[in-house]
Amino acid sequence: MTMEFSPENKKKLAEILSRYPTKQAALLPTLWLAQGEFGFISQETMEYVAGLLDISPAHVYGVVTFYTMFHRKPPGKYNLQVCRTLSCALRGSESLLDHLKKKLGIGENETTPDGKFSLCTVECLASCGTAPAMMVNQKYFENLDASKVDEILNGLK
Amino acid sequence: MIMTDITLTIDGKQVAVPKGTSILQAAITAGITIPHYCWHPGLKAVGNCRMCLVQVEKWPKPVASCVQPVSEGMVVKTSTDEITKIRKSVMEFLLINHPLDCPTCDQAGECRLQDYYMNYDEVPSRFAEEKVSKNKMIDLGANVMLDQERCIACTRCIRVCQEVAGVDELTLANRGDHTMITTFPGKKLSNPYAGNTIDVCPVGALTNKDFRFKKRVWFLERTPSVCPGCSRGCNIEIHHEELKVYRLLPRYNPEVNNYWICDEGRYGYKFINEDRILRPRILEKNISHLVSSDEAVDRLAGLMKGGALDEIGVVANAQETNETLQALADFAKTVLKTRHLYFSRREVENPVSDNFLMTADKNPNQAFVDKLGFRPLSTLKEVRGLLVLNSLSPADMKKVIEKKVPILGIWASNENPAAHSSAVVFPIPTYAEQEGHFTNVRGLTQKITAAYPPRGEARLVSETLEELTERLQTNARSYTQNSYPLSPHL
Repeated sequence: MTMEFSPENKKKLAEILSRYPTKQAALLPTLWLAQGEFGFISQETMEYVAGLLDISPAHVYGVVTFYTMFHRKPPGKYNLQVCRTLSCALRGSESLLDHLKKKLGIGENETTPDGKFSLCTVECLASCGTAPAMMVNQKYFENLDASKVDEILNGLK
Repeated sequence: MIMTDITLTIDGKQVAVPKGTSILQAAITAGITIPHYCWHPGLKAVGNCRMCLVQVEKWPKPVASCVQPVSEGMVVKTSTDEITKIRKSVMEFLLINHPLDCPTCDQAGECRLQDYYMNYDEVPSRFAEEKVSKNKMIDLGANVMLDQERCIACTRCIRVCQEVAGVDELTLANRGDHTMITTFPGKKLSNPYAGNTIDVCPVGALTNKDFRFKKRVWFLERTPSVCPGCSRGCNIEIHHEELKVYRLLPRYNPEVNNYWICDEGRYGYKFINEDRILRPRILEKNISHLVSSDEAVDRLAGLMKGGALDEIGVVANAQETNETLQALADFAKTVLKTRHLYFSRREVENPVSDNFLMTADKNPNQAFVDKLGFRPLSTLKEVRGLLVLNSLSPADMKKVIEKKVPILGIWASNENPAAHSSAVVFPIPTYAEQEGHFTNVRGLTQKITAAYPPRGEARLVSETLEELTERLQTNARSYTQNSYPLSPHL
């Protein structure tokens, strides 16, 4: 099966490309588009995007792996992203992470067998004032501790 | 261009350099070395290692000298206390996750981390955490081995692939202390210039599968030479110890190969060490006998005197030096007075060539062979015997067999089919063991030097030709060539 954008996303890509001086410059929004359509960024997707933008698959791989927001495996329904950067680390994000690992029975970059939760750490969520912080999909949760996390998880169906 | 020169002061020295020159390069002009990892004279400057920071008078912060162009009247200081402190900090960061496995690292002895540590150390280590561990043995392909723990992420290897080989095969994946060099998953490094990534790696991250664990680099002697792998004549350094070659590295020459060589040339040294002919021998009733050099010369002179000298053909070879080729041409023209001047050469199937360094002619000296008027052996006329330099290509060998022309004598460094069927065999040095010149495809004549004396009883072709001349001009014993037929199985 060859990978291809939907006609609608092809139109979007053309619009994105028109905004940048070079094709390479459109890499991030193109990857975002791909993740939106295909759910995650597989190797095949990287090669497809590289072909679209006339850049090497190696370069695309470098960019995809740099950003924690790009998933190289299908994430769970709820993607828990725990900030691991300084302020959160000082305010207990490490024990928060341990708590989540124990509670969900999975490690970093893993997904629960039912496909409901996946867990990862991310760099600074720009929420230092309300550390420790975590994102669940696109939503922020701040000033966390173990009991708050339990509450949040219980609320996710 | 004097007109556009910019004058600045570096560590009290006045320097004039062309506009656009970086501070780091201007300093090199002034004989001042600024430590650096990521900058390489043959690659674009990226300014990521921060080791080359310097102070500029009246500027608020230190600048990366590799990417900062000079400006008129600039006053640069490269080794103030503040700069030393900064470099120590850079070293401390670079070494935080470094495995410090120098005893088992091939780069030891030519490692920038080791070298700079002597100047910018910070003892004792303040790092109490656990080091990040990564993969220490990744076969990237093309003989390049990667130890991710030793990598300092300078990106020189990425830029060599992009800028020299013209293929974007390597990248930095992940971020922070998880950053690592890699190819695209499932792909191997496969460009024909991949070996240069190892040369430019300032640390032990990229090592050569062909060389690793074979030799400590400080035992190696370095001899300037020219690659005999094709007609480009890339400048190389032969790295050897005693009578063995361990590796070839490129030697800078902006006229020919800049800082680079191709992998074909890099790994084309094995014949220097292997399968050598080290003693003179003669073929008697199809059995090979080792003889002294004198006996061999006597035997060949005798064979040659079995008939008219001008009916003997000589076969030069595009692998040999100008000096050897000239000696053979002189011998043929003045002693033999023969018109039968031929050449053979190394022929490979589907030779690789490109618009950069590799040429399709896999011989270093076809230009000089042509200049001396040797003709292809495919035009072989009736001769009663041949004197051969080095070897014959498979097609030429076939031609000689078809024509039933005996090979009376051969001067060869390595075993080859022509040597097996030659009545007399003289061992000669390879290009690594002699002085001389090669004339490259663009007519540039370049010098090679001897890494060590000829091995075994190998002697220069010109020496045996002189002795042969003497023998031919006196009434030495004469052999008839009938006793030494071409080996039937060849």
